[in-house]
Amino acid sequence: MRYAESQGSTRQKLIQGWKETNMRLKDQVALVTGGSRGIGRGIVKALAAEGAKVAFIYKGSQSSADSLVAEVTAAGGTIKAVQCDVTNHAEAQKVVDEIEKEWAPIYVLVNNAGVIRDGLFVRMEPEDWNTVINTNLNGTFNFCKAVAFTMARQRKGRIINISSIAADHTNQGQTNYAASKGAINSFTRALATELAGRGVTVNAIAPGFIETDMTEAVRNKAGDIIKKMIPMKRLGAPEDIANAAVFLASPEAGYITGQVLKIDGGLSLGSAHV
Amino acid sequence: MPSQDEIYTKVSATLVEALNVDEDEISPSSTLQGDLGAESIDFLDIVFRLEREFAIKIPRGELFPEAIFQGDPEFVKDGRVTDKGLEELRQKMPFADIGKFERNPEVTAISDLFTVDMIAKYIQGKLAN
Repeated sequence: MRYAESQGSTRQKLIQGWKETNMRLKDQVALVTGGSRGIGRGIVKALAAEGAKVAFIYKGSQSSADSLVAEVTAAGGTIKAVQCDVTNHAEAQKVVDEIEKEWAPIYVLVNNAGVIRDGLFVRMEPEDWNTVINTNLNGTFNFCKAVAFTMARQRKGRIINISSIAADHTNQGQTNYAASKGAINSFTRALATELAGRGVTVNAIAPGFIETDMTEAVRNKAGDIIKKMIPMKRLGAPEDIANAAVFLASPEAGYITGQVLKIDGGLSLGSAHV
Repeated sequence: MPSQDEIYTKVSATLVEALNVDEDEISPSSTLQGDLGAESIDFLDIVFRLEREFAIKIPRGELFPEAIFQGDPEFVKDGRVTDKGLEELRQKMPFADIGKFERNPEVTAISDLFTVDMIAKYIQGKLAN
């Protein structure tokens, strides 16, 4: 594990260019996996802007992690970057223990770390299958496992799993990815029932096409076709997902649990014409 | 070693924390599930808190045995615990008062064995050893 930590001296209302927030998560501890880039990065910034102390996990993107720490710190937020492989069960627990020891029990966990290894099934190697399941599904298990009992004992906590509309609206070449995300949806509902009695909510967000590095290859290949498929005629931004994550983490969402929220500009409605 | 009263008081305080109930809701005969509303995860929390409170180690399944009869027809027949099943209960839960249960051993009533007093007796036995 590597730590690059920083504590803002005065927390300003906002990170530059962001809208004003109500500091709905003031001083709550949040942990976001896969936080240095893409959707995860957007979520980290949005939680920090709500006043949360945010730790994020990154695997290899050192420069992205550093720039995120710098950006949030400059805005007066509290942030910590932790390098960790989410597929490592023991390490996940260790990371959580250290964050909880230093700050406080984790209130918001966002399982966002995810990978794709697209390929037609008949040509898919076991390694491509396992990598996707290990990161997307088992990584989610590892971090939920690391926080769940403490959240239950505290009688508070929010778990937000990042799924995908690809779980239900499948694409060729994504058997592994669809399987991992479909499993996350089922896992979300099952875990929600176990923790509901303790006031801990577990929900998933299923993004559609979001403008990130992960979708870059598809975007380059398909170009404007994707936009035409989306009723709103635009790709989503990481902030579109981050706003929903903040809502699910906020006090206002305390009665919502076991849900999978699709955020896709209407793509999954199936009504668009190419 | 703490007295019986001291143990009971501590057990009671532990349950207040673990189950989010008021102290006056708790009596020695209160059942954890029926009277105090405990769910599965609450049993884990109770064990966790008792371990810390009394500085003891409670092996999994010792205080709250899981699936005691495993659907074994020798232990349960027509929804009732057999004599052999009752013997198994006595062995697995020597700290439980099964006298009342024995008179009408409906398997669905087994959760009523888990009372505040049962926990206190378990702790007494544990500390005595």
